[in-house]
Amino acid sequence: MNKRKVTLAAAAAGVVTGVAGLGLLAMPAGAGQPPSLPDVSAESLVEQVMTSKPGAFGGTVEVDNKLGLPSLAEIPQLADGKHSARIWTDGNGKFRAALPNGQSEQTIVNDGKTTWSWNSADNEVVKSEHKADEPKAGNEKAESVDPATAAKQVVGMTKEFSDITVDGTARVANRAAYELVLTPKASEKTLIREVRIAVDAELKMPLRVAVLTNGASEPAGTVGFSEINVGAQDPKLFEFTPPAQAKVTTPEAKEEKGRDRGSELGIEQALQGEDPQIFGTGWDTVVGARIPAEAMTQVPAEAQGLVDRFTKKVSGTWGSGQIFTTKVATILIADDGRVVAGAVPEQVLFDTIGQVK
Amino acid sequence: MITRQFGSEVRWMLRRPRTLIGLFGLILVPIIISFGIWTASDEGEGGGGPPGLGAILQGNGMVVPIFTLFLSLNLLLPLVASIWAADGLAGEAQHGTLRGLLVAPVSRVRLLFVKLFGLTAMSLFAVTLMAVVGIIAGTAFLGTDGMMTLSGTTLSTAEGLLRIGLFILLVTFQMVAIGAVALAVSSTTEHPLVVQAATMTTIIVFQVLGQFSSLDWLHPFLITTGFPGLIDVMRDPIPLGQIGDSTLLAGCYLLIGTGLAAIRLVTKDS
Repeated sequence: MNKRKVTLAAAAAGVVTGVAGLGLLAMPAGAGQPPSLPDVSAESLVEQVMTSKPGAFGGTVEVDNKLGLPSLAEIPQLADGKHSARIWTDGNGKFRAALPNGQSEQTIVNDGKTTWSWNSADNEVVKSEHKADEPKAGNEKAESVDPATAAKQVVGMTKEFSDITVDGTARVANRAAYELVLTPKASEKTLIREVRIAVDAELKMPLRVAVLTNGASEPAGTVGFSEINVGAQDPKLFEFTPPAQAKVTTPEAKEEKGRDRGSELGIEQALQGEDPQIFGTGWDTVVGARIPAEAMTQVPAEAQGLVDRFTKKVSGTWGSGQIFTTKVATILIADDGRVVAGAVPEQVLFDTIGQVK
Repeated sequence: MITRQFGSEVRWMLRRPRTLIGLFGLILVPIIISFGIWTASDEGEGGGGPPGLGAILQGNGMVVPIFTLFLSLNLLLPLVASIWAADGLAGEAQHGTLRGLLVAPVSRVRLLFVKLFGLTAMSLFAVTLMAVVGIIAGTAFLGTDGMMTLSGTTLSTAEGLLRIGLFILLVTFQMVAIGAVALAVSSTTEHPLVVQAATMTTIIVFQVLGQFSSLDWLHPFLITTGFPGLIDVMRDPIPLGQIGDSTLLAGCYLLIGTGLAAIRLVTKDS
């Protein structure tokens, strides 16, 4: 019967469409044809990146991380794997970031006077009012996921120590971009082979940063927009009213509570502390510090276990300690509390640690 | 003509005692959840509530319907969808009534669409019922002052109801997609229990497979992978990416299930 055949064909087409759809959904989005853009010299592109002032925009940032970092409860977005964050800025220091973590979410809002940090997992708001002279205070964590800011920092710190080239074009978040490549000069003793920055052709704003390490063809880490819309954002996004049921605390109170979080925090604090000691310049800069003796002995057993799991015991003429290696950075913690870290192979750290005061 | 068939199908479904018992079971879920959260709040500060969405339930009754549906989507709602799909074809075959329908001068494709409509209408009814009971129980036990989102913003009651409405539609669509695949199984057997067992086993196996990161190439094909992303309804502003992907994924399952069921019904001997 003809009608029956038609029905069967239609049904079969439905099944095939469904299966093909599943295949399409599973495929990663294609990069598409690289756009053709007028040539630009590397020097002027770098100059434009450093002087560009990104205006208001909102977008989704994808972080693809294969650094080999252990997952920290504090910053789940840094653990290996793919993470996304949504950020909005009005271009004048007001900022909002939404960092989803499974079924909860952390929201950071800087409304110009106050930075609010909300975490749905513990129903808590941390409120830090800005002092008069630091309008952008408290944005560091939120901005760490912003490719534009990250790229500017990388370029600023390393442009003198790199060979800079423009390597074709790319399409990022549906915008045409130049691929700016920073390659450490041969004299730099670093783990990093090159840093590729996709710079928006029109706004000269970095859209994606990829870090490639020696001996790997895939980037060890990529931070980039998957979606961006440039232009004025809804001003409501830069306001925050703590929900009625939430606890509101200050960063000081929060720190008090988190004091006994263990050695990882101790190292972090030491390296970001009052006066970290800087050795060398450029890509193989090493940051050194000394953890106070009491912090070393206060490490709880389970935190020590964690440290032992991710580190390797090493010793040399400089003493003995533990070394923590990722694809892009190495951290050496001596048993006497000296810490050095950098994007360098371990030998550089062994040579440097003797200089830590 | 077709509307009469739709109507009679839904009437038949509602007349089955197990449907009524099932619906009654479903409305218990939001009540129990609200009561549980309410008693937990009596015991003092932050009694280590459930993670994720559960953490913001306190004093936030409007979230109860979303929380309830989100939890139920993992097992309970697929089970209900599979029961209805099982009754629709396999159940009728078991009672010998399907033969009458197949030889009747009604196109078999139309028969399938009537069954699919019954499934959709009942899924929407069940999900809406759970949501409404959730709103009432949540408001009664936990109180409400608008709806607090995962992003820490507070929506007005009207906006909150809109979010609940959107979530009802999204969850119903997932249920219908699962039900369509169950209908395809249902068209091959005379034993309703086989349909339920096959559907539930698949859902559970999918969820287990979803836990293994070594199988991450497989995850985009599993309908269960789309479930957690639906929670984005509770973020503000709503990111549409994951919600769209989950819905498209379910749409693929709907096409496959309906297509296979149609092929089987058209080629079936009466």
